[in-house]
Amino acid sequence: MNECCYNLLMHKYFGVFILTLKEYFAYRLNFLIWRLRVFIGFLVPFFLWLTVTKQVKNFAGYEEKSIISYFFFSHLFSYFILGTRTVDIAGQIQNGEIINLLLKPMSFFRYYFFRDLADKILNLLLSFFEIYLFFKIFSIPFPSSNFQFLPFFFLFLTLGLFLNFYLSLLISFWGFWSTEIWAPRFIFFILISILSGSFFPLDVLPKKIFFLILLTPFPYLFFLPVKMISSPQTLINKIDFNLIFFMVSFWLIVFFFLARFFWQQGLKSFSFWGK
Amino acid sequence: MFKKIKRNLKIFLLFSYHSLKTSSQSRQGIVFFTLGKVLRFLLLFGIIFLVFSKTKIIAGWSLKQVIILYLTFNFIDTFSQLLYREVYRFRPLVVSGNLDLILVKPYHPFLKVLLGGVDLLDFLLLIPYSSLLIFFILQENVSFFSLFWYLILVANGLIISTAFHIFVLALGLLTTEVDNTIMIYRDLLNLGRFPIEIYQQIISFIFTFIIPIGVMITFPVKALFHFLNLKNIVFSFFISFFLLSLSIKFWQLGLKKYQSAGG
Repeated sequence: MNECCYNLLMHKYFGVFILTLKEYFAYRLNFLIWRLRVFIGFLVPFFLWLTVTKQVKNFAGYEEKSIISYFFFSHLFSYFILGTRTVDIAGQIQNGEIINLLLKPMSFFRYYFFRDLADKILNLLLSFFEIYLFFKIFSIPFPSSNFQFLPFFFLFLTLGLFLNFYLSLLISFWGFWSTEIWAPRFIFFILISILSGSFFPLDVLPKKIFFLILLTPFPYLFFLPVKMISSPQTLINKIDFNLIFFMVSFWLIVFFFLARFFWQQGLKSFSFWGK
Repeated sequence: MFKKIKRNLKIFLLFSYHSLKTSSQSRQGIVFFTLGKVLRFLLLFGIIFLVFSKTKIIAGWSLKQVIILYLTFNFIDTFSQLLYREVYRFRPLVVSGNLDLILVKPYHPFLKVLLGGVDLLDFLLLIPYSSLLIFFILQENVSFFSLFWYLILVANGLIISTAFHIFVLALGLLTTEVDNTIMIYRDLLNLGRFPIEIYQQIISFIFTFIIPIGVMITFPVKALFHFLNLKNIVFSFFISFFLLSLSIKFWQLGLKKYQSAGG
């Protein structure tokens, strides 16, 4: 691909990115209410674990300071990684709107990736604003980040981002074969909310359970990136880095190929009329 | 009076029957949603045990007390969802103007828009939740008197939940906004899964006296374990009465402002 074509291609997807941002600014109230909901959801685990660590002093290696740090970064990055517009796809398959996208001269996967990117950046900006305000109002000391593991943080952040993208696409493609599109998404959401570390740092679990969770794709979504920036030192002795690199690569490859496979199969079985 | 109740009950049962028929059409959905809800219940139940694995008391609450609180939360939440599921489907009625067809019917519109969509799924889940709740309460040495106040305050919590749902309906009439409001209510209610004392004082205050999630969920359990004084019990009844009256007034205002099709 020569440079000119590449620039044109990127210009096209940059347009998708900008349009998605504009969509959010057109429906500002919806987005703000969504952020309010995310913030309310953050309050329960934050205060629960803050109370616990204040009382116990050291809970499986977590002290008051490290738990604050974990939830600070968890709130900051949770919807940077988990925020996605791919949830719309199943509905578009059901109502036939997906045809409009298929006819456009662009890659469906890239189109959604750039839509996701816009969603993620907005979520990141607003979550930073919320958490800053919250910590200021309640006079909670701001945590310090650990830059020693910064390359690992960016690596896991990128891997988590792609893992979530392909996993979420895969769930949306369920819409090609079933009208029950919200039920699998609901289960996925429940699993993510508990097993990816948004309700508690996964490494407080007994070793065997923690090891079993490491075999699933969930901790790689945002537990590991958050851990790498908040308190990586408490994790180093608990896990084998070779294992986590292997597992995250394994899940990424599996979901990448499964998403492509089911997309192809779905397109073959898809039919619609009335547009 | 008795005749009127009997008639309303008959209409309610008819709507419930229709709702059961409709929801049983999507069997795959029933399986997945039940599985999801059971999974969430078990995982959060597990978190309680995890928290108490290193300590015996959290914010003045013991393990058994937190378990009863968690089960009470699930009971109130599931029971109100079982009864008021139709609220989640209110927006299309307002937007399309089909609400007119309900308002002209010779029965109270709440029978349809509030109580008209009993949820089979929540009914199924209510059975294990209630059984577990009874089991754990029987494990405790509670007096008849405190059990009485517990049951009364749970009923009081359901009245507050009813008021919140009527508020959402009224807001739907005025602004056509239902989906986000009901989800915010659910998110706020989730704050009551754990003792209200874990939150900072100002948040506890807000969720007790302004948005009374604590009154709905924490107060009944406190009464069960003699943590609640008479002043707070009286306050609970006052707030539920006040919110219910206010929500009905708000609904009436909504009806006055409602302009049929297009809100």
